[in-house]
Amino acid sequence: MASLGGSSSSSTEYIVRVPKNTSKKYSIMAFNSGDKVNCSSWTQARMERDMSNRRMYGVEETEEGAAGSEFGKKQREEARRKKFGIVTREFKVEDQPWILKVNGKAGKRFKGTKKGGVTENASYYIFTQCPDGAFEAFPVNGWYNFVPQAKHRTLTAEEAEEEWGRRNKVVNHFSIMLQRRLREQERGPDDDDEEGEKGGKKKKKKGGRGGDLRIHDLEDDLELSSDESDSSGGEDGDSKPKKKGGDVKGKGKKKKKKRGSDSEANEDSDDGDFEGLEVDYMSDESSSEEEAGEEKAKSNKEAVPKGIDEASESEEESEEEKQNEEEGKEEEEEEEGKKTPVQTKKKRDSSGESDTSEDSDIDGEAASALFMKKRTPPKRGGGRGSGGSSRTGSRPGTPSIDSASTSNTLRAAASKLEQGKRHVVGGSSESPAAKRLKMESSSMAVTTQSPAPSGKSTPQPPSGKSTPSSSDVQLTEEAVRRYLIRKPMTTKDLLKKFQTKRTGLSSEQTVNVLAQILKRLNPERKNVNDKMHFYLTE
Amino acid sequence: MSEKGEVDLTGAKQNTGVWLVKVPKYLSQQWAKASGRGEVGKLRIGKNQGKAEVEFTLNEDLTMIDGLGDKPSGVQAPRDHPFTMQTVGGQTLAVFTETQSESSKDRISLEGLVVQRAECRPAASENYMKLKRLQIEELSKPVRLSQQLEKAVTTNYKPVANHSYNLEYDRKKKDEGKRARADKQQVLDMLFSAFEKHQYYNIKDLVDVTKQPVSYLKEILRDIGIYNVKGTHKNTWELKPEYRHYQGGEEEKETDD
Repeated sequence: MASLGGSSSSSTEYIVRVPKNTSKKYSIMAFNSGDKVNCSSWTQARMERDMSNRRMYGVEETEEGAAGSEFGKKQREEARRKKFGIVTREFKVEDQPWILKVNGKAGKRFKGTKKGGVTENASYYIFTQCPDGAFEAFPVNGWYNFVPQAKHRTLTAEEAEEEWGRRNKVVNHFSIMLQRRLREQERGPDDDDEEGEKGGKKKKKKGGRGGDLRIHDLEDDLELSSDESDSSGGEDGDSKPKKKGGDVKGKGKKKKKKRGSDSEANEDSDDGDFEGLEVDYMSDESSSEEEAGEEKAKSNKEAVPKGIDEASESEEESEEEKQNEEEGKEEEEEEEGKKTPVQTKKKRDSSGESDTSEDSDIDGEAASALFMKKRTPPKRGGGRGSGGSSRTGSRPGTPSIDSASTSNTLRAAASKLEQGKRHVVGGSSESPAAKRLKMESSSMAVTTQSPAPSGKSTPQPPSGKSTPSSSDVQLTEEAVRRYLIRKPMTTKDLLKKFQTKRTGLSSEQTVNVLAQILKRLNPERKNVNDKMHFYLTE
Repeated sequence: MSEKGEVDLTGAKQNTGVWLVKVPKYLSQQWAKASGRGEVGKLRIGKNQGKAEVEFTLNEDLTMIDGLGDKPSGVQAPRDHPFTMQTVGGQTLAVFTETQSESSKDRISLEGLVVQRAECRPAASENYMKLKRLQIEELSKPVRLSQQLEKAVTTNYKPVANHSYNLEYDRKKKDEGKRARADKQQVLDMLFSAFEKHQYYNIKDLVDVTKQPVSYLKEILRDIGIYNVKGTHKNTWELKPEYRHYQGGEEEKETDD
């Protein structure tokens, strides 16, 4: 028909047809414009229904067939469900989401969920123009919103919540996903079916503690190559050296591993990604703890200086902190796994207790110092958690060859002290006292190697057996001597005398310093009320 | 079925543009009544002082609205429907079709992209108002209705000497007669074959299967089976371990008594 209306308007008429009996069902595929989807750029696409929600009848129930089945089980189950009014929704194929894969395996993936309520009150029609100029209208059967599916790994809700809680502490976000991947890898060989993260963690924990983990990074590498045991210990060991190397070498690389958190403190698995990384040198296996420790110390030392050279100026504090922490922790765990003496356990315990606190860093360092002989001075101050104390040259710049001998003597001293204690003290009080003494001796070791600056004061350069901290107002040898001469006191009493508020030291430092002093004084011991008292007679 | 899932992308490549039009329910109902080739009306696209005007006119023969129960309600559908044009921004809309042919090959093909969205509105007219009123009346009727009855209903429950179904049951019982004790070996055979199918059986089910009196059956069962009192399979009988062999293929283990 011709145009109608005013002169400035012109119109054309088209016939609208609604074809009947088409076997084609029209649906809408909606993409968010932010995803910048260009359909014409697709070379090929595959789309299928996502059947993951289908519950096969009987799949959830006990298996069919003779074994374990009952006569009439199905009917009974159904009757039971009806009685309780449980209505299971029928699985409708048309309502299931679509999975769209574009450009093959490497291309994008989309998931299209059906939008409800589209056809309830109004109908949508697709008007297409036919070659003959008429319009054909097809009703729209369903509307599917397609969202791109992430190919990269994401955190589950639980993990996300954990990380959220640590967001102020974590500086290196790359490590979060790395952690997760390692965990998964760890879980994989152990148990393929285990999906729960908790389960996986537990497994790792067990593997880390119970397995016979070697302390040494590089030797573990050897170990693994020689025996292809599936144990997490072996795997841990293998990837550990690489990881260490990787961590130290490339701070810019994504392969940073963060081990600071409580929940991950027990982790031992490492990333297989580091397989190809260079390792400084391989050392021979050694079964003795000391040797192993030594080697590890050496290897660490090797790895670490390299790292220092590369990244001496602008290292991230937290990274270091965490690495130290993690090294400390992992060493602790390894120690345990090796059925080390009670000492280790105590060490770990003590550090475990104060995990989140700043002290944990120090504890970890103390442990590492004691056993690893590697944790030389630089570990001082042990990073105040995430507070971020400045760490100048905290990586051992100096080869710590002599540290080995030092720590040997330290260990000897520690064990002697412990033995001395053991003889004198009864059984019950032994553990706490021994533990405390352990702590003290180890912290003494730490302090001898690295001065423990107070958290507030500026860190001092590492030095030998210097008296810790200059802000030491009242905690002097003289003071202790005075007390001990006056009357026998337990270590607890002594600590009470030198309260942190008054001396300006942290509790950790107080302990360290006190231990040092006690060692120097070498007071006599007396057992009063089952408690070890010190006293001096001048 | 190799094609299953493969999407035919011709429409996307050609960038065929289509319109997505939202149509009121009554109109789509009228369109469903179209006969012949499916012609439902005319679409007029005009340019009036620079602005595009689109209007749809319903065919005359499709204006009869059916009221309840498919009878003509006397209301006529409005004929003129201007389209309100809208943009497609914010979403990229593509149209795909599923074809289900007899050979049960589902073919999915991308028909094109939506270039224009529109809403079909009825022009305000008397007809439309009447139509709307009719719709509202229908919708406002309550789904459930209370109705008072004049007389009490007496056809439901009448006293009966014996219910029909009871009679049937008695007759069935009589026909079947009491269960006779069959040969022990035979019963054992039946039991073993039954336990081949399922591991656990209720005593009642076994009675059904073997058609034996309960006490006799119980005796036999005590010989070859055990009774589960606790656990998941409460109060069920199962074969004794030495008699059973459930591992993929079952084998019968019979004993001679």
